[in-house]
Amino acid sequence: MNTERTVAFADAAVFDFLERASDAELDGLDFGVIGMDDASHVTRYNRFESVAAGLSPERVLGHALFTVVAPCMNNFMIAQRFEDALEGGSTLDDTIDYVLTLRMRPVKVKLRLLARTGSALRYVLVHRQA
Amino acid sequence: MSAPVEEEYEALLQFMYMAPIGLVQTLADGEITMVNPLCAQLLMPLSPDGQLSNLFTALEAVVPDLRQRVREFTQMHGTICDAQQVPISTGQTGRRQHQVLSLTLLKLDAERLMAVLSDVTQSVRRERELRQSQAWINTLAIGLSDYALVSLDHRGCVQDWNPSISRITGFNREQVEGRSLSLFYPADAMSDQRVLDRLHEADLTGWSLDEGWCLRADGGRYWGSCLIAPLHDSDGDPSDEHAYSLIIRDVSDRREAAEAMLKAVSCDHLTGLFNRRAFVEAVELEMQRWARSPRPLSLVMIDADHFKRINDQYGHVTGDGVLRHLAASMTATFRAMDVLARFGGEEFIVLLPDTSLEGAELVAQRLCCLIEATPAVVGEHTVRYTVSAGAAIMDADATDFDVLVQRADEALYAAKAKGRNRVERWHPATQPAALP
Repeated sequence: MNTERTVAFADAAVFDFLERASDAELDGLDFGVIGMDDASHVTRYNRFESVAAGLSPERVLGHALFTVVAPCMNNFMIAQRFEDALEGGSTLDDTIDYVLTLRMRPVKVKLRLLARTGSALRYVLVHRQA
Repeated sequence: MSAPVEEEYEALLQFMYMAPIGLVQTLADGEITMVNPLCAQLLMPLSPDGQLSNLFTALEAVVPDLRQRVREFTQMHGTICDAQQVPISTGQTGRRQHQVLSLTLLKLDAERLMAVLSDVTQSVRRERELRQSQAWINTLAIGLSDYALVSLDHRGCVQDWNPSISRITGFNREQVEGRSLSLFYPADAMSDQRVLDRLHEADLTGWSLDEGWCLRADGGRYWGSCLIAPLHDSDGDPSDEHAYSLIIRDVSDRREAAEAMLKAVSCDHLTGLFNRRAFVEAVELEMQRWARSPRPLSLVMIDADHFKRINDQYGHVTGDGVLRHLAASMTATFRAMDVLARFGGEEFIVLLPDTSLEGAELVAQRLCCLIEATPAVVGEHTVRYTVSAGAAIMDADATDFDVLVQRADEALYAAKAKGRNRVERWHPATQPAALP
C-alpha cells in the first residue's frame, strides 16, 4: 500500500489520476468522488462521499445519479452541463459553489464537474467548504 | 430481530434522498434545518445568494410575501399556503425554462415550519391543453364557418382591426379600435367588470367560452359563440403585458338547438327561467368573482301575493299561467346579465351582478308596477295580481350565499308584512321577530 498515490481537489491533473486510481486510492482522498458512465449510472463512489451522504456504495453503484443518488443535482446548473458536454463532445472542467443535502442538512460545498471526450467516465468531485 | 438501526437509518435516508417531491423543514424565521435533494434541485436555481440557509430568502424572488404570511398566521399550527402554484423561469440566458412549482407550507408549531415543493409544470400544461382542446373541439365540431379574430389588450380593448371583424360584426376600424369588447354585445349583457372577469377566467383556465346574443354595428342581433384565450404565457408577466385573442362566430343557425339543450338541463319547465340547480351554479361563479374582487352584488327575492287564492279561485292551470306571466314580466324587466330563477312554488329569485342595493330595489319596484298594471290573460280569465319583493346586497359580513338569500328573504317577509305589492330592502334592523 505504500505505492498509494494521492491528489488534491483543485489539482489540474485530477482527471488523469481518477482514470487510473484504484478503489483504495479513491477511498484515501479527502474529498468526495462520484464517477458515472454515459447513461449517468454511478460506477465509482468513494468512501469520503459515502460517509458524508450516509449511503453505503452498494446502495448507490449502478443507479442513476440524477434520479436515485443525487436528485439535487438534476437541474441546469449541473445535470444540464454534463448533458451539453456529452452532446457537444466538449471538455468540461468547472468548479461551482453549491449546496448539497447530505443527511438532510444543507451543506455548502464546492463541486468540480469533469467530463472529456474519449473518457468512459465523467466525475463529480465534492469538497466540503469550511 | 429486526435489522440493525444503522441499516434502517440508511434505508430511510435513501428513501428521503429519492423522494420525488421536495421536503424542507425550517425554523419560524425560515432557517432551513432539514431539506431533501429534490427540494434543493428546485430551490438552488432560484436562490439569490447561491445558498440554502433560509427558505424565505430562497423563494424571495417568486413568493415575496411568504415571510409576511408566516408572520401574520396567528394560529398555533395549520396550513399557511396550500398547493399554491408558483410560476418560475430558470436557466441561462437564451435557454430560459418555464416551470410551475407547487408550494404547500405548514406551520407545525411555534418553532417549526414544513414545506412541500413539487414541479407541476407538466400537469399544469396538460390540464391547460386539455381545456383548450375541448374549447376548440367545441368550436370546430359545429362545422367551419366564418369567424372574426380580434386581438385584445389586458383591459379587453381591441388592439388591431382586421377585415374579419367587419365581415362578422359590421363594425369598421374607427368603431372598434381601442374600444372594449363589450361593444360586440347588447348593452345589458356585458359590463366592464364582466369583461375583466372573463379575461381573468381565461388566464386561470386557458380559455373562456360563452354563447349568446351578440350585436352588429347596425343594431341587429345574432347568436354568437365567443372564445377568449390568453396569448401570453402563464409565467407571471406583469398583467399589463397580457394579451388575448377573441374569436367570434355567428352560430345563429344552431341557436335553437343550443337553447333547447340549455333549457332541458337548466330551466324550469313551467316558466323557462333557470331552475334551482342552474341558479346555484351561476351563483357559485359570481361568488368566486366577488371573492376575488368584491363589487356590488345584489339579490332580489320575488313572491306572488296571495297566490293560493288565485289557484283556489281560477284553478291550477290558470295559476300556472300567472306564474308564466310573472316570469315573462321578470325577463322583460331585468337585464340579460342578471340571473333569473324560479326558486320555489311561486317564489322567484334574481341575482344582479354589479348592481347596488338601490339599483336592485329600483328595478324590483319597476317589476311591481308592471305586474300591477298588466294583468295576466290566461284563456278566458284576466287575472289581476301583485308581487312583493325583498332586496339585499352581498357584503363582507355575509359569509356565504345562504346568508344573502336569508337577508333577501327577511326583506321579502317585511314587504309582505307591510301590506304586499311593494319592495323592501334588507337592513340589519330587519328582524323577522319584530314584525307582526
